[in-house]
Amino acid sequence: MTLQRDPQNLERKALHRFADFRDKRVLEVGCGEGRLTWLYADSALHVTAFDPDLDALRVACADRPVRLESRVALTGASARHLPFPHEKFDIAILAWSL
Amino acid sequence: MVHALGEIRRVLVPDGVLIDLRPLEARWPVEIASGASSVEVGRLTDLPIAIADDEAATRAMQEAESRGWFVREREEFFSYVYSWDTPSEMKEFMEDEWEGFEKLEDSVYQSAQSAWAVANADARVQVRVKMLITRWKKK
Repeated sequence: MTLQRDPQNLERKALHRFADFRDKRVLEVGCGEGRLTWLYADSALHVTAFDPDLDALRVACADRPVRLESRVALTGASARHLPFPHEKFDIAILAWSL
Repeated sequence: MVHALGEIRRVLVPDGVLIDLRPLEARWPVEIASGASSVEVGRLTDLPIAIADDEAATRAMQEAESRGWFVREREEFFSYVYSWDTPSEMKEFMEDEWEGFEKLEDSVYQSAQSAWAVANADARVQVRVKMLITRWKKK
């Protein structure tokens, strides 16, 4: 199948118009297979991306570029109880997940 | 959903930013695209589960706003295109990925097939998803 998603990169452009990721600690809620994560992670200081779907998360781990291994942490979690301390992140992204 | 928004607020720094990025149910157009132009041949049918999910997300953000957790700073719509070589590939994708959320009516599929068959050699079939992006600031 020859599916193309967002061939004009409008999602990436919108995301970067709405947030300046430079030197920011980012939390991504519902990262799935990481499709959105790879659109901004290069700009961020650090990304924590989570999803309750462990199958999708496994794909994200496999697809994570080597250059982002130290910058992007992928974890299984639910948004109902975030396993993170208070005031840890500068930006949170609801990635097609609300 | 509201509880989750409370959790997100908890882990954001003061003046932290929440970006809500999501598709909106809006009977997404099915188009035949060639070069820089596209022609609509019909629209998908939104199914009740998708509409309910959409409404619940909007209500949750409204509730978070009314509780004084976040203030809306900026909002835009944009298109997110899914594009396939052929109508049959589009149909296969929808049956695999969007079953229960979006329906491709037979009449729309047939219109797409007819239009695609006589279009330019580079013609593709696409669905234009309506996207909403909102920037919220933690209060």
